[in-house]
Amino acid sequence: MRPGGIDLRQNFFSHYGRQLSTLAGLLGLSLVLWALTPHFLTVSNLLNVAEQATIIAIVAVGMTFVIITAGIDLSVGSVLAFAGVVMASALHGGLPLPLALMVGLGVGLLCGMVNGLLITVGRLPPFIATLGMMSVARGAALMYTEGRPISGFSENFRSFATGEVLRVPTPVVIMIAVYAIAYFVLRRTKLGRYTYAIGGNEEAALLSGINVKLYKTMVYALAGMLSGLAAILLTARLNSAQPIAGMNYELDAIAATVIGGTSLLGGEGTVVGTLIGALIMAVLRNGLNLLGISSFIQQVVIGSVIIVAVLIDMGLKRRGK
Amino acid sequence: MKKNLFLILLGILAITLIGCQRGNDQTGGAPRIALVMKTANNPFFIEMQRGAEEKAKKLGVNLIVQAADREVDVEKQMQIVENLIQTKVAALCVTPSGSREIVPAIEKANRASIPVLIIDTRVDAKALSESNGKIATFIGSDNYEGGKLAGEYITKRLGGKGKVAVLEGIPGHETGDSRLRGFRDAIKAAPGIEIVASQTANWERDQGFNVFQNILQSHPDVQAVFACSDLMALGAIEAIAAAKKSGQIIVVGFDASSEAREAVQRGSMDATVAQSPFTMGELAVENAYRLIKGEQIKEEIAVPIELVTKETAGSTQANK
Repeated sequence: MRPGGIDLRQNFFSHYGRQLSTLAGLLGLSLVLWALTPHFLTVSNLLNVAEQATIIAIVAVGMTFVIITAGIDLSVGSVLAFAGVVMASALHGGLPLPLALMVGLGVGLLCGMVNGLLITVGRLPPFIATLGMMSVARGAALMYTEGRPISGFSENFRSFATGEVLRVPTPVVIMIAVYAIAYFVLRRTKLGRYTYAIGGNEEAALLSGINVKLYKTMVYALAGMLSGLAAILLTARLNSAQPIAGMNYELDAIAATVIGGTSLLGGEGTVVGTLIGALIMAVLRNGLNLLGISSFIQQVVIGSVIIVAVLIDMGLKRRGK
Repeated sequence: MKKNLFLILLGILAITLIGCQRGNDQTGGAPRIALVMKTANNPFFIEMQRGAEEKAKKLGVNLIVQAADREVDVEKQMQIVENLIQTKVAALCVTPSGSREIVPAIEKANRASIPVLIIDTRVDAKALSESNGKIATFIGSDNYEGGKLAGEYITKRLGGKGKVAVLEGIPGHETGDSRLRGFRDAIKAAPGIEIVASQTANWERDQGFNVFQNILQSHPDVQAVFACSDLMALGAIEAIAAAKKSGQIIVVGFDASSEAREAVQRGSMDATVAQSPFTMGELAVENAYRLIKGEQIKEEIAVPIELVTKETAGSTQANK
């Protein structure tokens, strides 16, 4: 059964058609860049782009779950920074690597859980609850570090960013694993089905006996934990955990999710779409750098792509009805 | 087909926007040099970009200037460097957004055998040596000299005798520490001058105001103040005005921002130390060019620094 119980055939084009059009967008963009610069379509550059996409892509998985429940999470970037600095100080304090990683994920999970509880038990709108957390987690990260970055880690830890598996950078492998798991969870588990159900019609979900509070909280906790995972990768990448890291990541993650076809109204969306959305953002930035285009124009282009993607999405939906 | 709509629109968007800008890649023989700044929307870096562009035109260099949107976005800066490595630029000039965070990017450039010239902000020496990173040179203002210049100016104005206060930057910040050392060394050479207070105002204007107000409470007889940045100096000026002591205390700032130059012309600030971002940009391109040509360049290249006083304000670099 499809999520939301819609007939499979009828759903095929509105579901996969949307992802296909996003994919076509990515391929079209790549084609343009291939025509404009010889440096774009090389194995090393494509791996480079994939690596650059990982952090936003992983944050965007959590964002996709949250947005499918018709929520929003503005705190992901700040939670990333907070989880990063706490983990970094744990590493500097001599905690064994696996435990320090657990600390990073755990801090993210806890912040996400607090978000979830504020929204479900506290009945705050997600925008307000996570806006508050955005400020609290950022402030906590700054307090914890007195504003200074924590840097310099072991080769072991840094291999999360510098390592390779069969010539593919480790972060890319981790990203693919995260997406595979998220795809499975969203499609095949209770949590996934309930995520769609809550976003589609929360009242109906409640009436049909779904523990909405529990599953919603789980979704926000998941988003927080993924911010923790992104913190691990970012810290390894820069060999430094900054209290001001991850600023505006919530916006990039929302953009990737929305370009990928997830509706801000909730009830629909896929992680595959989000992955393509994140790749489109990374390819755009990469391509504009390769072409030597000024950063001012880059902002205009990226903003335009987001608007165009959503315009097309809305157009497709209207015709589909 | 609606499926193709997205593709077509994206394509049109990309082509129209890129159309007017294309050509950077196919210029053939000219060596390609990249300048990656902290940001492109700060007067200091706009000057640097202009200097680099003018030099590039003279030398026939194909210059690519890129910057992150925000000055502190170390991850964006790293992405830009990675992307430029992909285009196989001949040399990379970088003003690091983070002294330590830039090191992994330097490693990547090293692996691709692209020389890295560090401009304006030093790389953390320890982090660099730990990762075996190599830079070709550092081109930047001699902040130590700047601090010394300020110290000598105050000594001269006070006739070698008096009480001075210092507003420091954020402790541990390389730039501020060097300015402070230079200033202290200049004062040491004048035994009649005493530093009665030296406190941080964290580079901020409002803290400059508060901290200097406190200093005035505890040392009402202070005759001069050196602030490690113009913002803090401007804060101190307001504190002086609030204490109705305008004109009685010598104020020296650092950076020669346009607001500080105006203050110097008005007479509320006595002097400010000017860096020359324009010259920095020129030197960056020039030395990158020499490096590509196989010439040796110095490990460290100091950019001249000068004192802006009422006599010279308005006629120097920043107002070009």
